[in-house]
Amino acid sequence: MKTIYILGERAVREAKRTPDALLPTILIPLFFLVVNVGQVAKIFDVDTTPFLEGQSYAAFQLPATLILAASFGTSALYLVQEIEGGYFDKLRATPISRSALSLGRLSAEALKTALLALLIIVLALPFGVRVTSGVIGVVLLILLTAGWAVGYSGFLQFVALKTRNAAATNSAGLIFFPLLFLTPNFVPRELLARPMEIAATINPVTYVMEALRSLILVELDWEVIAKGFAVTAVFVLAMVAINVRTMTKYD
Amino acid sequence: MTSPSDSASDSSTNDAAPAVQARGLAKTFTGRSGTVEAVRGVDLDVYPGEIFGFLGPNGAGKSTTVRMLTTLTRISAGTASVAGVDVLRDPDGVRHRIGVALQEAGLDDRQTGRELLVLQARLFGLSRTAANTRAEELLELVDLVEAADRLIKGYSGGMKRRLDLASALVHRPDVLFLDEPTTGLDPASRIVVWDEVQRINAQGTTVFLTTQYLEEADALCGRLAIIDDGKIVVQGTPSELKSDLRQRKSLEVEPTLDDVFLDVTGRQRQRQAGEVSEVA
Repeated sequence: MKTIYILGERAVREAKRTPDALLPTILIPLFFLVVNVGQVAKIFDVDTTPFLEGQSYAAFQLPATLILAASFGTSALYLVQEIEGGYFDKLRATPISRSALSLGRLSAEALKTALLALLIIVLALPFGVRVTSGVIGVVLLILLTAGWAVGYSGFLQFVALKTRNAAATNSAGLIFFPLLFLTPNFVPRELLARPMEIAATINPVTYVMEALRSLILVELDWEVIAKGFAVTAVFVLAMVAINVRTMTKYD
Repeated sequence: MTSPSDSASDSSTNDAAPAVQARGLAKTFTGRSGTVEAVRGVDLDVYPGEIFGFLGPNGAGKSTTVRMLTTLTRISAGTASVAGVDVLRDPDGVRHRIGVALQEAGLDDRQTGRELLVLQARLFGLSRTAANTRAEELLELVDLVEAADRLIKGYSGGMKRRLDLASALVHRPDVLFLDEPTTGLDPASRIVVWDEVQRINAQGTTVFLTTQYLEEADALCGRLAIIDDGKIVVQGTPSELKSDLRQRKSLEVEPTLDDVFLDVTGRQRQRQAGEVSEVA
């Protein structure tokens, strides 16, 4: 745990020194929020759209914004730079566990995304967005968003370890967009056309999005929330296990 | 600068347990383009207190051998031990006892020199206070006190090399592996690194040095081995290797280490700019 903290501390310091890399993770999700709401808000009027639960369409879109903000995986890009530059070998030559090498950066990603999620929620408040599930809901929103960031960064970390190439790692990050658009992003799952509904049901991101959405729109619905956290936990554990194995076999 | 005969290598004897030992060490890489035998059965004995030179042309297997000995690359066949610890069975035990400075100083440009040393020390288990103290000592050792709080990306090539060397010493390793520590440095910076290596060795650290600069090996190493095409082709002290060649070829003048190298590897010499001869 101490080693994870030491490496996490370094990754946080690194993030603070590269604000240029942080800026897109705030601006791009907010851009999509504004554009998506602007395009369809008139169709989904609060008085005539039951699935909005009395809130604006911005509240319905906020989960997609949070998931997008958590899916940049910047830490994996730092890792691949380290691999290309040789510093990763320097770290591998120290007597620390291979899991610490993976989790050090991922813990910093969790902290960074938690702060980012809080900022996005605060920025959404003036637009009439309310977190119906209260303070506990806000905490769960932040935890789930940060957890997803750890899983997705873990996936990109795996790509970085396998390809050892910045361009390949960067390109792999774009896989997220098809996953995002195969979710009930604009309307609830039951209103999707049948093929899209099937795709969304298979897509694990759907359950994270629905959990986040339920925290914003309704009182605590533990069944939906549990599914979101379960998907995220499995994703995180699988990626960390795969990355530790990859680091152990790394030549 | 002291001569190799003045260094701690004098104190080493072949009766001591080897600081580095390899038997039949081999590495095979399998890729899309087929299988490559990078190292093909290397036997080595490096004794405590030595500066041992490991020479060879580009692609001969020097770096792959070092990467296996330092636990960075898995061993395909054979055995190796470093500081008495089996590399395969206890890689963490080996990592505790070695310092590693690889080719092209692998440093984190987004940290300051001080931060990098403190981090490295803490990864070897030092407390924050002890790590700060050790970083200060090492910054003084490699003459980087003034640049200590600047980001590494602003360092010159020579400064990065010295910092890399310092980072390999945070935990006072028994064996220091230096993989081409002076490649790409100007002659003045190269001499500074040589002095550092000798100073470290004089304090009792065994140094395993790979280089393609023969003058460097001649100046620093008590013993050396030359690897070519993944196999050791000759090993001994520089003077032994030279006199052996002189006798075999019945030469009238004492050959240089370049001549030994060219003889055993069958390669051509290419004179590069600068004071040091380099073999292509």
